Amino acid sequence: MTDTIKDASGMSNTPEEVEFELRAHIGSIWSGGRLFIAMYTFMVASLVFSYFYLRSSNNGLLWRPDHVTAPTAFGWAIYTLVLLAALMAFVGRSRLRSGGVLDWQVASWIGVLAGLVAIFLQIWEFTAVPFYPGSSGYASTFIGYSVMNIGTLAIVTYWLETNLARSYRLSKEIGGVRPLFSMDASAQSFRANVASMTYFMGFIVLASTLLFAMFYLL
Amino acid sequence: MTISAESHTELGDIGSVAPVAIKESRWGQGWLSQHLGTAIVGGFLGYIFGHWLGNYLASGYPYIANSGQSSIADLLALLFMVLGWMLGIGALNYPLMKLVGREASHEVEYTGWSKYFRFNLDHKIVGLQYVVGVLLFFFTGGLLAMAIRTELLNPTVHVFSADTYIKIVSEHGTIMMMMATSVVVGPLGNYFVPLMIGARRMAFPRIEAFSFWTFLIGYVVIFSALPYGGFPTGWTGYAPLQTQAGPGMISYLFGFAIIGIGMMTAGFNLMITVINYRAPGMTWSRVPVFVWGIISTAALLTLATPVLFSAGLFGILDKTVQTAFYVNEHGGSSFLWENLFWFFGHPEVYIMALPGFGIVGEIIPVFTRKPLFGYRVAAAGMIGVALLSFFVWQHHLFQSGIDPDMRPLFMLTTELISIPTGFIFLVGMGTLYKAKIRYEVPMLFCMAVYFNFLIGGVSGVFLSDVPVNVTVHGGFFVLSHFHYTIMGGLIFAFFAGLYFWLPKMTGRSMSKKLGLWHFWMMFVFFNLTFFPMFIIGLLGQPRRVFTYAHNLQGLNDFSSISAFLLGASFLIFLANVMWTQFINPKPSPANPWDSLGLEWQTATPIPRHNFDRIPVIMTDPYHYSEVGAPKLADFGDDESEMSHTSTSSTAGYDSAE
Repeated sequence: MTDTIKDASGMSNTPEEVEFELRAHIGSIWSGGRLFIAMYTFMVASLVFSYFYLRSSNNGLLWRPDHVTAPTAFGWAIYTLVLLAALMAFVGRSRLRSGGVLDWQVASWIGVLAGLVAIFLQIWEFTAVPFYPGSSGYASTFIGYSVMNIGTLAIVTYWLETNLARSYRLSKEIGGVRPLFSMDASAQSFRANVASMTYFMGFIVLASTLLFAMFYLL
Repeated sequence: MTISAESHTELGDIGSVAPVAIKESRWGQGWLSQHLGTAIVGGFLGYIFGHWLGNYLASGYPYIANSGQSSIADLLALLFMVLGWMLGIGALNYPLMKLVGREASHEVEYTGWSKYFRFNLDHKIVGLQYVVGVLLFFFTGGLLAMAIRTELLNPTVHVFSADTYIKIVSEHGTIMMMMATSVVVGPLGNYFVPLMIGARRMAFPRIEAFSFWTFLIGYVVIFSALPYGGFPTGWTGYAPLQTQAGPGMISYLFGFAIIGIGMMTAGFNLMITVINYRAPGMTWSRVPVFVWGIISTAALLTLATPVLFSAGLFGILDKTVQTAFYVNEHGGSSFLWENLFWFFGHPEVYIMALPGFGIVGEIIPVFTRKPLFGYRVAAAGMIGVALLSFFVWQHHLFQSGIDPDMRPLFMLTTELISIPTGFIFLVGMGTLYKAKIRYEVPMLFCMAVYFNFLIGGVSGVFLSDVPVNVTVHGGFFVLSHFHYTIMGGLIFAFFAGLYFWLPKMTGRSMSKKLGLWHFWMMFVFFNLTFFPMFIIGLLGQPRRVFTYAHNLQGLNDFSSISAFLLGASFLIFLANVMWTQFINPKPSPANPWDSLGLEWQTATPIPRHNFDRIPVIMTDPYHYSEVGAPKLADFGDDESEMSHTSTSSTAGYDSAE
C-alpha cells in the first residue's frame, strides 16, 4: 500500500498528493496576487475614467474653477511614503532571498510604519482641502480618490503586517530555521506570499504615480 | 506504512487554508460559539452603534431632505451592521488572528444541522447554504413581482400609489438582479467545480465562506431600503433621480457594494481554484463545459464588479459627504453613473447567462447519450462572449449621453456578440441532432432554455439596432426581452441543474411527478406571462408606470393571471423539495442519470475531502455511447471508482413512482 501522510484536518495524502497540494497552494498565491492586481486595475480605471469624463464634460464650467488644487504638501508626503513602503518591500524581499530574515523584518516594520503614517495623512488631508466636496468635479473625484487610497493603503499595510507577524511565528514553528532555507510547506507558502505582496506593491507604486500626477500635478 | 501527523507537519499549515482539526474548546462549542444567531445579534448591535456614531459625528451636518434622517448615520448604521454580522458569524476571526501572527487554530468542524448555520469551510456546505440563500432572494423578489402584476390588473383601480408601485418595482428588480448574479455560481459553482476538476478543496475556503455570508447580509441591506422608504430609480439607480431620492437609496448603493464584494470574492476563489487545483491530467481541453461556464463568469465577476463597487462608492459619497459625482449642477454628470453602471451592467448580463449555458452543455449529453458536439466551440463561445461583453455597454445609452456618431460602433459590437452566443447554441443543436432523447425533468428544463433563450436572444438582436432601440426604449418590449434571457435562460437552467444534481447533493431523490408538474406549469405560464409583454411594449406601454392605456387591459390581465400561475409553479417545486428531502426522503441511486461526470464518480454522501485519492484524469467526460471509450480517470483506489457503463432503472427519482 502507498505510504500516506495525515494532515491536520485528518486527510490522508500520498507524498505525490502532498506535493500536488503544495504546488497548487503556491500557485494559488501567485495567481491570486495577479488576479488581485487585475481587480484593483479595474477599480482604479473607474476612478481615472470618472476624472477624465468629468474633466472633458466640464458641466457648468465647474470641473475645476480657479484651478483649485488639493494641498500638494500632503500629496507629496503621502506619495513619498507609498514609495518608501514599496521600496522597503522590495529591499526586504531581496534581503530575504539572501537569507537576511532580520533585514526583511526591519524593512517590513518601516513599510508598515510608512503605510500607517500615509493613511493618517490621507485622513488628515480632509481637514486641509481648500474646497467643499461638492464644489466641483475635481473636488468630488479627489474625495473619491482619497477614500479609495485609504482603503488601498489599509489593505497593503495589512498584508505587509500579517506577513511580518507570520515571519515571527514561522521561525518558532520550524525550529529557528530561516524561512529561506526551509523546505517546510509553511516556509514555502510564506515566501510565495511575500513575493506576491511585493509584486502588488510594485503595481501600487504605478497606480499611485498616475493618480498623484492626475490630482496634484495636472 | 503511514506517517503520522505528529512526525510530519508538511501540510498542516499550507497557508492555514485546510480545515483545521476538531478541538474541544469551552467557547468553541454549542450556543456559545459563533453561528447565525450571534451574527444576527452582532448585526443588530452594530446597526445601533453605527446609527449612534453617525449622529454623533455628523451632528450639525445636512440631513436628507424631508426624511428626518442623517445620511451619515444611515450609512454607518448599515456599515456597522455588516461588520457586526461578520464578526458574529466568525468571518473576521482569521483576518484578526493573522494580525497578531496567529492562525485561527480553534476552528471547529461541526456535524449535524448546526454546520449549515455557521461559517463553514467545506465547499459542499457553502454550496447548500447558497441554495437556500438564492431561493430566499428568489422568492422574495417573486412575491414583489406578484404585487406588480396585481397592480397592473387594472389601469384605473389601484392597489398601490404610484410612489409605492415604483418602489416595489425597484426592489423587485434589484433583489432579482442580485440573486441572478449568484444563482448558479454560488450554489452549483461552489458545490460542483472542485468535484468536477478532481480537487479535494477550494483554493481559498475562507474567502468562499466569506462570499456567502456577505451575499446574505447584502440581502438584509437591500431589503432595509423598504423601511427607509424605498428608492424610486428601478434597479438601474439612474441619477439624477438617485441624487434626489431619500435614505432608501443608501441601502441600494451600499447593498450593491456589499453584494459586489461577495461577487468579487466568489469569482476570485473559483477562478484561482480552477487554474491551480485541477487534478493531474485535467488539461484545459478536458475541463467540463460547466466549469468553462463558471470560469468565464468568474472572470467577469472579478473584473467588472470593481467598477460597480466604485460607482456605488461615488454614489454613497454623493449622498453622505455631498460630493457631486452625479450632480450636473456642481460639475458632475448623471451620465457618469450610466457609464460606470453599464460598464458593469452589461457583463453582468453574461454573468447571468454563461453559467446557464454551462449547465445546459453539461446536462444534454447525459440525456442524449451523445458526446457534446463541438466541445471546443462551446468553450470558445463562452470566452468570446465574456470578452465582447466589455465592449457593448454603450448600447444602454443609445437614448442618452452618447455621441450619435458612436452609436453604429456599439450597435456593431452588440451584434457581434450574437456570434459566440450562436456558437453555444450550435453546440446544443448539434448534440440534440438525431439523438434519442430521454425526457427527464432536467432535460426538459434544458430544452426550455433553448426555446426561451432563442426568443430572448433574437429580440436582443432587434434591440441592438439603433432604430428599434430608440422606438421601444423604456417599454415592455425591453422588459420582456430581458426576462426571456434571464428568467427564461438562467432560471430555467438553474432548475435544470437543481433537478439534475440535487440527488447528488443530498443523496435523496426528487419526485418526477411533481417535477413534471413544476416544469410544465413554469414553462407554459412563463411564456404566457412574458410573450404578451412584447406586444404590450410594441403598443407603447412604458415600464415602471402603474397605469396604462385602457385598450391594453386585456393583455395585461392575461399576463397577470399567467404570472400568478407561474408563481404557483414554484410552490410545486417547494412542495417537491419539502416532501422528498425532508418529510418522506428516499435515498437516491449513486448515479441516477448514468452520467460520466467526475462529480458522480465519488461516493454519496460525498466524503469530506471529495476523493480518497486525487484522481488522475484520462479523458473528457463526454464519451457517451462510444464503444471502447477510454476510462475517465484513475482513482488510485478501486473502491471509489464506478463503472462507466452502470445503469439505473430508478433514475434520480423517488422509486415509489
